[in-house]
Amino acid sequence: MSNWLNHHLQAIKLVLSRMRSNLLSSFMICLVVGVAMCLPSLFYLGVDNLSKLTDHMQSETEISLFLKLDASTDTIAEIDDLLAKNPAIKQYHLVTKDEAWQQLQAKSKSNQDVSNVIEQLGKNPLPDAFFIQAKSADPETLEALRNTLQSTPGVEQAILNSEWAKRLATLLSIGKKLIFFIAALLAVVLLVIIGNTVHMQIITQKVEIEVSYLIGATNSFIRTPFLYAGVFYGLFGGILAILMITGMIQTFNHSVMEISRLYSSDFSLALFNADLYLTVIGSAAIIGWIGSYFAVTRAINAIKID
Amino acid sequence: MIQFDHVTKRYPGSDEVLKDISFSIDAGEFVFITGHSGAGKSTLLKLIAATERPTSGTVLIANQNVSKLKPSAIPFLRRRFGLIFQDHKLLYDRNCFENVILPLRINGVSEQEAAKRVRAALDKVGLLNKEKAMPITLSGGEQQRLAIARAVVSRPSILLADEPTGNLDSSYAADIMAIFYAFNQVGVTVIMSTHDALGMSANQNRVLHLNHGKLTDGSLNQTGLEQNTLPSETFSS
Repeated sequence: MSNWLNHHLQAIKLVLSRMRSNLLSSFMICLVVGVAMCLPSLFYLGVDNLSKLTDHMQSETEISLFLKLDASTDTIAEIDDLLAKNPAIKQYHLVTKDEAWQQLQAKSKSNQDVSNVIEQLGKNPLPDAFFIQAKSADPETLEALRNTLQSTPGVEQAILNSEWAKRLATLLSIGKKLIFFIAALLAVVLLVIIGNTVHMQIITQKVEIEVSYLIGATNSFIRTPFLYAGVFYGLFGGILAILMITGMIQTFNHSVMEISRLYSSDFSLALFNADLYLTVIGSAAIIGWIGSYFAVTRAINAIKID
Repeated sequence: MIQFDHVTKRYPGSDEVLKDISFSIDAGEFVFITGHSGAGKSTLLKLIAATERPTSGTVLIANQNVSKLKPSAIPFLRRRFGLIFQDHKLLYDRNCFENVILPLRINGVSEQEAAKRVRAALDKVGLLNKEKAMPITLSGGEQQRLAIARAVVSRPSILLADEPTGNLDSSYAADIMAIFYAFNQVGVTVIMSTHDALGMSANQNRVLHLNHGKLTDGSLNQTGLEQNTLPSETFSS
């Protein structure tokens, strides 16, 4: 056990000292890994934040239920009763035509033109209306609920305004698939880059490897430092990627928050995304390991002792 | 300890380098392998060190048949040997200390213990004060002594030396030979190939003489050696 630990500690020490003595080229490789990891991550963050935003909007989608203009108080009470019994409805409230009329007048006070128009109308043109929030945010359930409400007697029109959010969600799901393919392609690129880098290192250390074999080194003794090298390129590259992503989010956040303020929302991009960061670092390290494993296995088979 | 039984070695596309070789070496012996250049001395050493496998016949090292060993077992067999090469095979990108410590790292010896043993080995070959020096700054004789330190640092029971004095002038060669004799005195088996009779002149040692891949006499004494070695010195194939 201590032997095994010693073997790995030595390998790690060796790799780190090799990386330190070739600081610039090691940094370049990590940078390549970092940039390659950055691209799908940023794309993911964009899609993820947009879909959070649309989820937010979809869940706030109200069904506006406008009653017929001549709806009697009895009809209103009937519908109220119906809504109270419907299990798909979370909450609802009634805005009577008088309330709506007052609200409109109050709102239009600041705008001379609109208030003029309203005054010319003379009488209240607005219907009684129920504003309903459903329990489910699922577009199809909402659509079904709307249809039920539409067919209720006394209802003039039931309006569901989530149509555009539905379309955006579909587009975003395409975006998510796209991310998967971009990430897969970049993973292949990284495998090749890290594999090639490790292969070059093996070539420069060919003499050492040959001598080591002659004095009784096992394959795993030769292989371990190079595997760690691959893992470290991935790890450091992943950390660089995260630094870059955080930097970019920080820059974006200023503009995003400004826009949010204009829409009187407090939406901003999350600076810390533990899942994403762990995925970036973990997958980079695993890609590094696989890339160097192939390189070192190929090289070990090629080195013949004489 | 080491037993060859009707061993033949042929490289692809060449004649037989070794033909029907049989001998055995006991623990603690000091054996010279002599012969003209191209006689098969290096190949014989490679067969012992398991860097080559015989084309036919069996090579037994410590009762293990080398031909039948799994590739994964070979490294552990090699750790029984200290190997010394004519061209040293030192690593020139690191200092003397780092060169000598390599076999201990391979064996998984802890750093503190390894450092102690490295210094002891460097001391034995008289290079303790050159610990931090780079091998390229050492003379030929010193480089060979460094290679010996690396070979003995893991305390192998067998030393295999392929013409260790081949490139050295006679005073350095005598130094090197003295070191080998000292190890043999404490029980290490030494097998050394050489085309140089100088190192053996003072001792009665066992000699395996190769002539065009054949063992001419497995137990020659010194008189026979001189007769056989000197004329073949100019021979090359």
